[in-house]
Amino acid sequence: MRRGRARSSAIAVALCAIVASACARPSQERRPGRIQVDIESSPTSTDPRFATDAISSRVNELVFDSLVKISREGEFVGDLAESIERPDPITLIFRLKHGIRFSDGRALTARDVKFTYDSILAPASMSAKRAGMIELASVSAPDDYTITMTTRHPYAPALEIAMQGIVPDGTPLPAQSAAAGPPGTGPFAMLSYRRDESVTLARNPNRTAAPAAAREILFKVVPDPTVRALELAEGICDLSENNLEATLLPWLAAHKTLEISNTAGTTYKYIEFNFRDPRLRDLRVRRAIAYSIDRTAIVSSMLHGTARIATGMLAPESWAYDGDVANYGYDPAGARRLLDEAGYRADARGMRDLRFEYKTTPEGARLAEVFQAMLKQVGIRLDIRTLEWATYYGDIQRGDFELTSLQWVGIEDPNYYYMVFDSAMTPPHGSTNRGDYSNPEMDALVEAGQRTIDPAARKKIYASVQKLAADDLPYVSLWWVNTVAALNRGVQGFEPYPNGSLRSLAQVTLEAPGGAGPAQ
Amino acid sequence: MIRYLLRRMLALVPVALGVATLTFALIHLVPGDPVVAMLGDTAAPADLAGMRHQLGLDRPLAAQYASFITGLAHGDLGESISYHQPVARLIAERFPATLELAGAGLLVAILIAFPLGFIAGAKPGSAGDVGAMGFAVLGISVPHIYLGPLLMILFSLDLRWFPLTGRGGLGHLVLPAVTLGTALAAIIARMLRQSLIGVRASDYMRTALSKGLSPTAALLRHGLRNALTSVITLLGLELGGLLTGALIVEMIFSWPGLGRMLIAAISARDYPLVEGCVLTFALTYVVVNMATDFVYALVDPRVSLK
Repeated sequence: MRRGRARSSAIAVALCAIVASACARPSQERRPGRIQVDIESSPTSTDPRFATDAISSRVNELVFDSLVKISREGEFVGDLAESIERPDPITLIFRLKHGIRFSDGRALTARDVKFTYDSILAPASMSAKRAGMIELASVSAPDDYTITMTTRHPYAPALEIAMQGIVPDGTPLPAQSAAAGPPGTGPFAMLSYRRDESVTLARNPNRTAAPAAAREILFKVVPDPTVRALELAEGICDLSENNLEATLLPWLAAHKTLEISNTAGTTYKYIEFNFRDPRLRDLRVRRAIAYSIDRTAIVSSMLHGTARIATGMLAPESWAYDGDVANYGYDPAGARRLLDEAGYRADARGMRDLRFEYKTTPEGARLAEVFQAMLKQVGIRLDIRTLEWATYYGDIQRGDFELTSLQWVGIEDPNYYYMVFDSAMTPPHGSTNRGDYSNPEMDALVEAGQRTIDPAARKKIYASVQKLAADDLPYVSLWWVNTVAALNRGVQGFEPYPNGSLRSLAQVTLEAPGGAGPAQ
Repeated sequence: MIRYLLRRMLALVPVALGVATLTFALIHLVPGDPVVAMLGDTAAPADLAGMRHQLGLDRPLAAQYASFITGLAHGDLGESISYHQPVARLIAERFPATLELAGAGLLVAILIAFPLGFIAGAKPGSAGDVGAMGFAVLGISVPHIYLGPLLMILFSLDLRWFPLTGRGGLGHLVLPAVTLGTALAAIIARMLRQSLIGVRASDYMRTALSKGLSPTAALLRHGLRNALTSVITLLGLELGGLLTGALIVEMIFSWPGLGRMLIAAISARDYPLVEGCVLTFALTYVVVNMATDFVYALVDPRVSLK
């Protein structure tokens, strides 16, 4: 009996010890000079030659510089390149800045740039970036500070290719290690990479930074949007961008320690029609659907004002934007009239012999229900089919859908119109014109836009493209998604980019609690 | 005993083969393409075809299956398509976190369930019984996805007792473990109550009471051990639920376990990684059930391992 009691006491003491140690709250306190940014998923790669997802790009652009970068105003500006020349339509010459060093101390030369491109273009690289460089014929390094790129044809968007992050000559292929990736010349160096947990960046010792600038950035992977909001409210997280639920923004805004930034973005949301369906080849049906969607109501209520009504794929921030195009405001009466003209008469209950299948993912189901209710008002039935992402994406890529809604992210150059509307890009030849849209006039315009180097002439071409796309309506333009960030008021100097870039983290400072000044 | 152990170990082979075959068939049957997931929608068809060839995905399904099973027989689970690393290494990195979470969830479940089940079973119909069973109904009804954030708000944001997310010290483990273990605690408590009620009517309990033991002492010393066999069976069976529940809890608490990796692998149609993860979960389930049989023998002298 006594032994039993002794054992029970020992168990009780052990349990108390466990509870006590559990209650001792472990390190969640702020590290001086460190900014925490919550991200929704882990970067897929720490090597810029392989990473194509948005999260990897956001992290990698702080570590790796490229020949050119996109400014907040949407213009290509030199990054590693101090000058760019275009002596003929197929040649670009970049003169590199002197004195640039990788974070491991090595000096950057043109050899590193050439190596980076060659290693991507090598057939064995298995890099997803190869496809975007298909027009690139060669990269040469005539001297240590000059890079010459030639394209196979006159290729207007060639500067997009020059946005590739540069790694040192000899970096092995592929970067298979879970540890931090190769060194870069960017403002930060990767200190640690713990997959599905966090990425920590520390200042590149070979780059100068303001004394008060943040010294470390911790990108923490927090998959649940509610938890991201809780971390912001708690002050654990300093910044979360483009991954917060719109419904939680008013709650976050009520916190005095937080500031909500809601600025113009370029991500384009649209409804896509499948032209393989004879009913959707009828322009009146497409226009009727466009008139049935009350975009203003959706943006103001469901999206809490975090988007702008779109006129086309290019946002006003683009140099090629032209908003003088056909617009489709909410007009259910007009939609009914068009459907009547198309021969789809309403029955006694106001419904028509028009039933479409709308494919979506679980994340898009709520929006689908809104579309369903709006289309029902004009007599169109929408059957929602919710699929898991990979299945959904596979179906859309094969053209196996009637109606769907997706978004294009990171539109930098109007050449996107070629990718999505040129008939050559229809599966199986291409994979981006999924709705099988084909119009010889559009083909001629977007192909001319790709080959025309002169910016003024190009702008005219894309003005015509935008008009034709709005008239012909292969997509219903819905909205441009804003760049929405919630940030700790102590974070000073953060500037949101329309494309969601976090590059300004290189300059931000972190005030100590109470606003007494920069944290030491 | 050793012969029994060997026999059970041998039985693992057909189970592993069955699970591997079923997982292989299912993941290849569902639509979706790992190469498209990896290269994106702007990839040229020639690049997609080249990548399929490099990964061996253009071979007939039977040939792919044969390679997979041959590799498995040699202990090679292949290389992850999306992570470019051996599947075995990835699993070895993540599985301890999942086991830690599931183990802690089980511990929490037992710590909650035993007192509640005992109180309810000792005096059926009493206020304690009603309260304990009320908790059980609540515990089963509240989903992880709701309970997790609720606990976070209460214990992390308001009381500031525990960290909000991530894996680290013991403090990080408490909220995920409570979230995971609560539903199981409710089930165990109900089962224990029923078993104790059944045991109370048995002859040896009458004997114990007639010897002068109080009802509580008799139930603790003689009843509980006999009531445990059904609870142990339940624990073995429910471990599967604990592991699958861990998938959701890992997402909520940003816990870097195997479940999160499995979800990402399914999305990316990373065939080798999905197969490896499912196989790991299935074998764990089988091994735990095997361990359950051993525990039977320890708890109940009527059970022998032959």
